[in-house]
Amino acid sequence: MSNDNSYKPYRICSRCIMDTSDPNIRFDVHGLCDYCNNYDTTIDPNWQTDERGAAKLSALADTIREAGKGKDFDCIIGLSGGLDSSYAAFVAKEKMGLRPLLFHVDAGWNTDQAVGNIEKLVDGLGLDLYTDVVNWEAVKRMQVAFLRAGIPDQDLVQDAAFFSGLYRFARQYKIKHIITGSNFSTECCREPEEWGGYLGIDKRLFGDIWARCGDGRPNDEFPLVDILVYKIWYQKVLGMTVHHPLNLVPYVKKDAEDELGRLYGWQRFQHKHHESRFTRFYEDYWLPRKFGFHKRRAHFSSLIMTGQLTREAALERIAKPEMDEHFLTQEFEYVAHKLDLTVDDLQHIFAAPNKTFRDYKNKRDLIGFGANAMRKLGLEKRFFR
Amino acid sequence: MIRIVDYGVGNIQAFLNMFKRLGIEAARARTADELNDATRLILPGVGAFDTAMALLNQSGMRPRLEELVQGRQMPVIGICVGMQMLADGSDEGEQPGLGWVPGRVKAFATHPQSQDLPMPHMGWNDLKIRPGHELFADFEPEPRFYFLHSYYFDAANKADVAATAEYGLSFDCIVSRGHIHGVQCHPEKSHHFGAQLLKNFALN
Amino acid sequence: MLRPRIIPCLLVHKGGLVKTQGFKAPKYVGDPINAVKIFNEKESDELMVLDIDATVNKVEPNYALIAKLAAECRMPLCYGGGVTTAEQASRIIDLGVEKVSVSAAALADPSLLTRMAEAIGRQSVVAVLDIRKKTGLFSGKGYELCTHNAKTAHKLDPIAFAQQLQAVGAGEIVLNSIDRDGEMNGYDLELARQMRAALKVPLTVLGGAGSLDDMQALITACGVVGAAAGSLFVFKGPYRAVLISYPAQAQKDSMCRTALAAHRSR
Repeated sequence: MSNDNSYKPYRICSRCIMDTSDPNIRFDVHGLCDYCNNYDTTIDPNWQTDERGAAKLSALADTIREAGKGKDFDCIIGLSGGLDSSYAAFVAKEKMGLRPLLFHVDAGWNTDQAVGNIEKLVDGLGLDLYTDVVNWEAVKRMQVAFLRAGIPDQDLVQDAAFFSGLYRFARQYKIKHIITGSNFSTECCREPEEWGGYLGIDKRLFGDIWARCGDGRPNDEFPLVDILVYKIWYQKVLGMTVHHPLNLVPYVKKDAEDELGRLYGWQRFQHKHHESRFTRFYEDYWLPRKFGFHKRRAHFSSLIMTGQLTREAALERIAKPEMDEHFLTQEFEYVAHKLDLTVDDLQHIFAAPNKTFRDYKNKRDLIGFGANAMRKLGLEKRFFR
Repeated sequence: MIRIVDYGVGNIQAFLNMFKRLGIEAARARTADELNDATRLILPGVGAFDTAMALLNQSGMRPRLEELVQGRQMPVIGICVGMQMLADGSDEGEQPGLGWVPGRVKAFATHPQSQDLPMPHMGWNDLKIRPGHELFADFEPEPRFYFLHSYYFDAANKADVAATAEYGLSFDCIVSRGHIHGVQCHPEKSHHFGAQLLKNFALN
Repeated sequence: MLRPRIIPCLLVHKGGLVKTQGFKAPKYVGDPINAVKIFNEKESDELMVLDIDATVNKVEPNYALIAKLAAECRMPLCYGGGVTTAEQASRIIDLGVEKVSVSAAALADPSLLTRMAEAIGRQSVVAVLDIRKKTGLFSGKGYELCTHNAKTAHKLDPIAFAQQLQAVGAGEIVLNSIDRDGEMNGYDLELARQMRAALKVPLTVLGGAGSLDDMQALITACGVVGAAAGSLFVFKGPYRAVLISYPAQAQKDSMCRTALAAHRSR
């Protein structure tokens, strides 16, 4: 869908808080947005966390345990230090009786709290940790190129590092079962693609952005597993499967935070994705102020749909940034300096015209086609996230 | 504007970083003119007493500082050797001090209780503070700060002493005489403990 | 009372953080700025950052990097690597760094320490001694001093040399055990004890710490001392997964209290 420059009156959903800052949003006669309708018709009926979920969880646990007999570990969990992956690790070990390897990708933006939470989980759950430290120079150069590219999809760089690291490791050690913290409870309202939620890691997009906005030298150290390679080769040929156990158990954000806090001293974050300093800055400053997109709308809307937050409370919170102005100013400087830019450099990049992924070579249609085809054939219910 | 007196010694940048973190305006002053907009003063200092005093005297700022502090009662805080400079003089050298807080700077090495301890006094140590003093507002129960020195301030009037610390002997580590304060330790390098002290100096 | 200092020691190689074993095989550990920021947030007592390339490559210290690191530290920072003149030391201090360390340069010319002490004050002058057990067939027993990432050995008794450096201006001595580097099997307690007894200035011991228990053993043996570690604060678990850690204040205090009590009652 192309950029439509005609004026659209502001409209907000009557149940959640998704609004016309998502240019593709649609409302029905009741004023409900398509995210809410999608939840009511597609997600909710198929989401069971009672004894049906428990049965599925148990069956899944058996499968994974069986497959992992005789190995040092039977599955791998990507751990960021944030709530979802932390709770998934807890469920895998304590509820499913599995022997997961905890896998952390350090892309250079860890907050002290994230690192502390990982440590507490490793110690508290008695599990082993493996860290993939991405070459910071490579990440830095790619991130600067993406910023210069002017697109909203700034988290793709960290995502690429994370998923490429995880899947490469799984392939190398022939691990078939991967557990992630993806869940309906806090993510049933997906972040719109227009807001920088690009579908997956697209080597063509990365390549073109690097060619046009990079520093001119090769960036071979940057880890990149193309999503189609992943989907076709890793999943279909090597038989890797990704599981989302948080959809099979009752998962209430506040309760989960309390439980992890009680058991392991785990510390809750102010908001989703705050375990990465860059993502926190990106979602609380860059995206809202440069593009007018507030990912928190989607996050809060998920919580509204699942009964964890009232619409009033959500509206109140979205009215101001998570972090105060002084903090954001300092983070702006920190991010600039860490990327080897001056504050002025980053200001210029911030003020430059906004672009989208469509301004660069990409295979979005192919990915979309592939995902749609797979969904139609019942081969896959979710995108790789 | 908090002006940090930059006369040639002292970790000015660390103070600037700290105040920036706290969101409090601060800048260095290298000349008497740059002190014009000062509302509070920080006097840093490291190294030898005589060197520090000589540099301060040569900096061209001393007369203005005397006028601001003694004349206009502008709040000032001396840090480390900056605190020692507030004294009448130091056993470390020959130069007279500013004399703004009566007292003498002495050597740990010549005191029977501390002479056998490693020198300098280096590391984190606990403060025994006089409760209720404005410099210690919102302090945690067991404040600790980073120290790095071989000489200590011995105040002539113990009423001027706001905090002591122990290194072999109990020595005066924070003095406070009205608007003139001196701190032997390094609040700019003492994490949240130091941040609170500097914040209190800046705002109270 | 004065507390023992627990000090993370970070090595910088080609702009990135690395960890070595026996001073060899640097393994990439990540971005220095983020690491320093995390140690600052964890309220480390002090931090040591050593550039292991500068001396070997005969280049100036990386002032831009030092400035960025200093900006993240609300605790004392000691920088070392490639410092050969008092002017460089002054420049580094001006960037917001507390202490400057020298190793090879002090061996080549101990009077450098005197000049540095005059420029920045003795309390900011640190001498790092890289030491290993003698390896030559005919060297006999004992320890030898090394420089240039343990590629060059010198015929000097480390303890006597440390005393000499103390005399000419060192305000702190760091004892760095090459043999123990990265092994996480404990400090060389005997050498530490001897060094502590021989010196008047503060001592910091580096090389071998694998757990807080090792630090406790060091403090029990030596009293108030600096316990420095690289691997311990940067790796986790059997796979040596990179994860920055630092003991919480309560844990640190409790360990030090126990160790100092044991030291006093020896």
